Amino acid sequence: MSQETIWERLQRIDRRVIYWLLFILLIIPFIRPLGLPVSIGPQTISLLEGLRKLKEGDVVVVNISSGVSAWPECLPSLVAVSKVLIQQKAKIIYWTSFVDGHMTFEKIVEKVPGFKGLKYGVDYVHLGFYTGAEPTVAQLATNIRAIFTTDYKGTPIDQLPIMRGVNSAKDVKMVISSDTGDYGDYYIRQWRIPYGVPFAEIGIAMIFSSYQPYWPEIIFGMTGGAKGGAELEKLIGEPGDATVTMDAINTSHLLVIVAVILANIGYAATRRRR
Amino acid sequence: MIVAGRQTAFVFLIVTIALFYIFLEMARRGRKIPIRTFPAIAAIPEAIGRCAEMGKPLLYTSGYAMETLSNPDQGPQTLASISILSHVARLAVRAGVKLYYFTCIKDSLPLVEETLRTAYLEEGKPEEFDPLQINYQAGQSPYLNAVMGFMQRERPASNILMGGFYYESVVMGEAGNTIGAMQIAGTANTHQMPFLIATCDYCLIAEELYAASADITKDPWILGCLRGEDIMKLVILVLLIVGFVISFARVPILIDILKR
Amino acid sequence: MAEVVRREAVYALTAIIVVIMMVDFFFTIPAISAIAGELRTWATIISTMALTLGAVNIIRVHSRNVRRRAPGVWYHSAWLIFIFAFVLLLGFTDINNPSSNPVYKWIFDNAYVSLGQTWYAITGFYIASAAYRAFRARNIDAALLLIAGIFVMLMNAPIGEVIWVQIPRIGRWFNDVGQVPAMRTFLIVAAFGLLAFGFRTLLGRERGFYGEVAGG
Repeated sequence: MSQETIWERLQRIDRRVIYWLLFILLIIPFIRPLGLPVSIGPQTISLLEGLRKLKEGDVVVVNISSGVSAWPECLPSLVAVSKVLIQQKAKIIYWTSFVDGHMTFEKIVEKVPGFKGLKYGVDYVHLGFYTGAEPTVAQLATNIRAIFTTDYKGTPIDQLPIMRGVNSAKDVKMVISSDTGDYGDYYIRQWRIPYGVPFAEIGIAMIFSSYQPYWPEIIFGMTGGAKGGAELEKLIGEPGDATVTMDAINTSHLLVIVAVILANIGYAATRRRR
Repeated sequence: MIVAGRQTAFVFLIVTIALFYIFLEMARRGRKIPIRTFPAIAAIPEAIGRCAEMGKPLLYTSGYAMETLSNPDQGPQTLASISILSHVARLAVRAGVKLYYFTCIKDSLPLVEETLRTAYLEEGKPEEFDPLQINYQAGQSPYLNAVMGFMQRERPASNILMGGFYYESVVMGEAGNTIGAMQIAGTANTHQMPFLIATCDYCLIAEELYAASADITKDPWILGCLRGEDIMKLVILVLLIVGFVISFARVPILIDILKR
Repeated sequence: MAEVVRREAVYALTAIIVVIMMVDFFFTIPAISAIAGELRTWATIISTMALTLGAVNIIRVHSRNVRRRAPGVWYHSAWLIFIFAFVLLLGFTDINNPSSNPVYKWIFDNAYVSLGQTWYAITGFYIASAAYRAFRARNIDAALLLIAGIFVMLMNAPIGEVIWVQIPRIGRWFNDVGQVPAMRTFLIVAAFGLLAFGFRTLLGRERGFYGEVAGG
């Protein structure tokens, strides 16, 4: 039996070795942060520009269609967006299509100091969980009260001052959706296109490419994954969780690139020998 | 009468349906419509044969698909997957291969059960059908967990992953690789195509998933629809080229028409 | 005979609902809008009710594992059934707002959510090993893909800019000029595929919708 050459070995590194290396490289930045500068993409800039156009009292819907598992990717952008919305003195309505969405809402409130000066039910509210995908999103556009009769705490919607006069998409100035899946598409189809409500997307990195075709005509601004969050944090001058995460992204990306290059060197060398 | 901004879309819809109907009628009257073979569909007998040779089960799953058929992007992918499942099930029953189906799409359960039951019945082995070949788990992570557990315990010789996949695609694809399974996949979810292409042996991408049943059945009705679809794609292509050319003259007429 | 009637009834009902929803989308007819609104609410309710089917399947599969003492599995199945019943009972303590029960909320927040997070986190490891295994410059196309992929990855990580200041710009070019048009193409063709699939389903030629079998 012939001995495996180094070139062949480079192509067949055991996956467990890669997993261990990745694990170690993800830990290093937490011990010794790298703090490299973040370049800002045009989608993030246009997101902030769109948010800055809001006027005092404008009603904004923030749809949370990302679960707790997507916090590292979506929460920083949600936090940064909420900070800007508070600065613009907008009225914020949160709702969620994820069963654990209430945890995301509570985390946003915890992480945004500006909420302390605001009154729940007057300046912001969380209406809770809805199910039923696009039909429900379409129904929300025509009649919010057909889907939500109370907020997530059980308070009747008509007792919430923020909801006075807010019945449908026509009463909303902007929708921002945080997604791990298709809900952005539903809001584009049921809110943005028929009612012209300006729409922004906060997506995980994996789906960022799926929404890019809509920017800037249909989606006025968007962030993708932790990188997008870090860009927004840099733009508003308040570094947060995403900025910290970028170090781990640096090390993990570098590992994948090095592994791919090594495998290709091995592949090229063995092919030449043949 | 027509909602503003949807007039052109309405015209496009009518024209598309009319084209479907025209070509469907032509196909029904005997006009030959050629269709290329999808390597992923052609590989299904090989995948089942592999299971038969190794005496191992076949795993079939249709992805997270937002857990419902009522999702307009994901539901049709699940239905297209069930169409392919019916073909796979018949081949599996014929070869004596045990097929296990995993899903988290609750409202698809009666359809899947009916499809498998009919496949066993039509292959003359109704007594071999066991409803418990269908495994349901509520939620994306429990479903993924169940599939991974099954792969590790039962070591299926082949995995077929067809439908609306999300992040589970790369996890299942890689897990299938570690057990050395032959893998055939298909999805119309653009964000998951790269992962399935990277981890599986064969992959149906985008509309191929919807067109697969044409390759399987060679049904003239389905082939006619496909031809209509191709004509509409040509129309879009022409519009794109015209739009590109007239954009240099800064004439907004086409955009104005399309926005109506 | 009854089977044929049942199938025809499904076809007819589907067609009627499709027409109502399409008319509601394209036209402003208050009566149709009201019906469409009701149908959307029904869709939400029916979709939720389908959970019962799932629950029945779970109990059937796992109770059989327990009955047959399936090696290496039955005790997991027994635990699943116990937890299923336990959480269900907790939920029934306040049928209008199950999460008001602190034990129910604790289990959800600390077990279900944490396990979900763990699974999602694992994805990163699988992506790393999949990329390592799949990215090979086997031909000129694959080599181009590899180069573009590396630039886009480095664009997404600040370290790219540290390596070479032009990397984000090149990565963005690959992304905006290469990737976005391809994604638009996929969106357009998939939409036509979807439309054709819907049309065939309405005509009863796509069997998956009715649980029938395609020619093998």
